[in-house]
This record gives sequence, structure tokens and C-alpha cells, in this order.
Amino acid sequence: MGRIIAIARRELAAYFATPVAYIVVIFFLVITSGWFFFVNGFFAQDAASLRGYFSLWPIVFIPLIPAITMRSWAEERRQGTAEILLTLPARERELVLGKFFGSLALLLTTVLLTVAVPLSVAPLGFFEPGQIAGQYVGAILLGCTGLAAGMLLSALSANQISAFLLGVVFLLLITMIGQIPSALALPGWLAAAFTWLSLDYHFDSFRKGVLDSRDALFFIVLTCVFLYINTKVLILRRFR
Amino acid sequence: MIQADSLVKRYGSIEAVRGVSFRVDTGSIVGLLGPNGAGKTSLMRILTCYHFPTSGAASVEGHDVSAQPDQVRRVVGYLPENAPSYDDMKAGDFLKFIGSVRGMSGARLRARIDWAVETCGLSPVFTREIRKLSRGYRQRVGLAQAMLHDPPVLILDEPTSGLDPNQILEIRGLIRSLGQSKTVLLSTHILQEVEALCRRVLILNAGKLIAQGTSEEIARDLKEGMVLTVSIKGAPPQGLHESLAALPGVRGVSAVRALGDERTEVDLAVAAGADPSESVYDWAVASGHKILGLSRQKASLEELFSRLTSETTGG
Repeated sequence: MGRIIAIARRELAAYFATPVAYIVVIFFLVITSGWFFFVNGFFAQDAASLRGYFSLWPIVFIPLIPAITMRSWAEERRQGTAEILLTLPARERELVLGKFFGSLALLLTTVLLTVAVPLSVAPLGFFEPGQIAGQYVGAILLGCTGLAAGMLLSALSANQISAFLLGVVFLLLITMIGQIPSALALPGWLAAAFTWLSLDYHFDSFRKGVLDSRDALFFIVLTCVFLYINTKVLILRRFR
Repeated sequence: MIQADSLVKRYGSIEAVRGVSFRVDTGSIVGLLGPNGAGKTSLMRILTCYHFPTSGAASVEGHDVSAQPDQVRRVVGYLPENAPSYDDMKAGDFLKFIGSVRGMSGARLRARIDWAVETCGLSPVFTREIRKLSRGYRQRVGLAQAMLHDPPVLILDEPTSGLDPNQILEIRGLIRSLGQSKTVLLSTHILQEVEALCRRVLILNAGKLIAQGTSEEIARDLKEGMVLTVSIKGAPPQGLHESLAALPGVRGVSAVRALGDERTEVDLAVAAGADPSESVYDWAVASGHKILGLSRQKASLEELFSRLTSETTGG
């Protein structure tokens, strides 16, 4: 456990040692709040709901999360520090979890700062705290899945840029795959499979503020699968 | 102690290490010598469990690199080539990070960091970001990182590359003092470094171990390690090559230097077990030249190295 914490702390410190963390935080806050108040028209809707606010999160996550995870492994390899990290007496899963928790800490910091939005509109109407909590839990679970996927792609990429681009394409695909059936005339079972795979589909219940255990489980299992494959990639690379 | 047994490492179709076996005893400094691309780094990566061997076996302090990588990583301190470290961290924070991943904490971690900082002379840059450090200091940060946990085995990939002459002397002194109690395997392509530091040498070329032993032993194994330098007066340098090469006991003429004033200096490679001094003298007398000097020299490691690596290239 000590190793995981040490690695996570280093990761988080590295984000704040470069402009990455600040860009991520500001980008996220400006885009989501700007959308909510000005584009989505929160005041015009005259409803005590943050649904509009959270609707945009999966879309903003598409460029944001790869920006967080792109350097994770790709930069270690480029700088040669992978050779230091992977020859320390730490198991691959400890390294992967350490890096994952480090990037999760940055995401949580960002998410925590958005609390200003619900707090600022709270006096304007009757907001259900449970609903908002559900929306936050969903967003964090969705974020975990994205981070795990982004890290895996970083492990498979030669450099940060390709890790970022791969991450964006992958998240775009897996978020939007549910829209494909409506665009193309697909057989029913395939349409259902595409919809079920879509992150956006599973985020839908959370967006409404409903904590659906099936959707939560979907995100948790997918996160674990990506992290597991990540450890296997590290191990396989030793045999390369 | 490090032991390697028929190690092979293939990267796709490239065979970087081809059946290497050797042994490094506790408390000795062994130099791994070879041209670029000889497989030095690949070999070190296997011994530090960064990569697993394709076949063959190796053990460090009795732990097998394939079966017990965690134990191996615990007893090894590794300085990878170019001394990579996290640029964005301060030197002290980097050491603290390495220490905590290595399972140290509290007073022990502080004591070990103090020792490493003191030993590697890092106090002036302890709170500086690594990216702002000179090449020499980065190399020292890398060394401090490698010996932080007081490992019995140190594996150092080109520990003095990129350093200026003063820094090289400092780092060599440090390695020499570490080598009194630890097993040190260091790679280099600087031959003087091996002669200055190492009790034994492993010469690697094109993935194969082509010689091992002390530099004297390697020379003896080759049995052609001697060079006879003859300085002659009165002989034109043009014809010397043929007439001297034909003498019994001479394997070849490696250099002819015209010194002016009718004087010429010739280096003769001596054949195994032979002493051509007498026949050279007789030849000079018979052809009316004067011998001004005859001296036997041990072939330098440099000459052995270039001979060994050029003979086996492509083989």
C-alpha cells in the first residue's frame, strides 16, 4: 500500500509541476460552467435541476481525460524513467494502481472545484441533494473508466501525442457508440449491443440523479478490466 | 554475486544477447566492455529484471531473474544509461520517492538519503529541480538513487558518460570505494575506465562474450599480446615492412613511424611464445642498419579490444 501511495503522490505532484493540471482544471471549469449558464440556458429553463450541467460532462471528458493520462506511461518510456520505475521492487499492479490513483486525484480535485456551481445555484430553488450526489458519483465513475482506458492507451503508445489522440478517438467511440444504431439501420441485437457498450448510455441514469447499481457496476468492471490489461501490458513488455 | 548462464535475448528478429555466461564474485568490480550495440545494455536489463531473457538463466545474490524478480530488484541498485530521473522533481524529493517505493520510511529513509547525498556530493543541489541540474549532477542523482537502499549489487550502465574529466575522476573514486564491499558490474566503452577501475573485464561484441578475465589474462589467452618496438637508423622506411614481417617470430608489422634523421620506429606484433629480438638484431647487422633500441610492451587493452572486436564482427 505504501508503494501505491508513494507513486500516486508523485504522479499528482508531477501534474502540478507542469501546466497540465492547471490547464485541465481551468478548461473543465470554464467549458462546463459556460455551457450550463449561457448555452444550455439554466436561467431560461427555470427548473431546479443540474441535469443540463452534467449532460455535458461525458463530452468534455473526451479531450480532458486523455490530456490527464497521455503522459502516464508514454512519457516514462520516452524519458527512460520506465527503466527506473520497472526495476524498483514494486509489482506491476502496484505501479498501475499508483498511477491510476494519482490521475484520479487530479480528476477529483477538478470535480471538487465544480461544487461551486451547485452551491451558487442552490439558493435559487429546491435542489435535491441526493440527486446531485448521484450525479457526482456517476461522473466520477465515468471518469475512472476513462482514466483507466487512457492509461492503457498511454502504455501502448510511443509518445504523449499519439496517446492523447488514441485516447480521444477511443473515448469518442465508446461514448458515442450508442448513437450508431439510430444513424444506421442495424439489426436489433447489434443495436442493443452497441447501446449497452456506450458509456453515455450507462451515464444516463446518473445524469438524472438516479444511482443504478447495474450502471455503477458497468463502470467499475470496465475500469478494473482496463487496469488489469494495463498490468499485463507491462509484464508482456518485459518479455518483448 | 552475479551469475549468468547461456543468456539469450531476442527482440523480434534481432538477437541482442547470444548465449552469454559469466560470473561476478562478491566484492569485485567487473567491467563490461564492448562497442555500441554489443548487447551491454540488454544484458544489464536482464540482470535488473527490466526485461526477461528469451532463454538461459541468470541469478543475482542467488535469486533467479525469471522466477524471483522481486527479490532481485531488492538487492540490485541500477543506474540505467543516461541516468534518467524525473525532471520535474527536486533532487531530494526524487530520492525520497525512490526510498519510499523501496519500502523505506521515517528515520531510516532520512538517514539513507543523508548518506547518499553526502557520498555523491549532492548537498548543493538537494532542493533544485533535476531539469536544472548539469549532466554531472544528474549522473550523481542517478548514482545516489541506485545506492540509496545500500544494495549488495550495483549495476551501472555507463556511469561516467557525459562527464568532464574532473567529474569522471570523482565518480570513479566513488565506484572504487563502493566496490570494496559490493559487487559492481559497470559497462563502458572507455577502455581506460576498465583499466583504472576493474579487476576483471568481460568483452562483449555482437551479443557474444568474446573474452573474460583480467586484462593480462586476456592478453595471455590471446598469446599474441606482446609488441616489440624497434628503432632503427639507416634503413629507408619503404622496404622495412616486408623484410621485418618475414623474420621468424614476427606475426606482422603494426606500425612504421619515420622519425627523421634516418631514424625509423617499427612496432612488431609478436607471434605466440616467440621472441624475435635476436633475429631482428641479426637482420639489422646483416643489412648494415643500426639498432638504436628494442623494447617489449604489453599490448594495451585498447589494442586487444580492437583486435577482438574486429575479428569477430559479423561472426
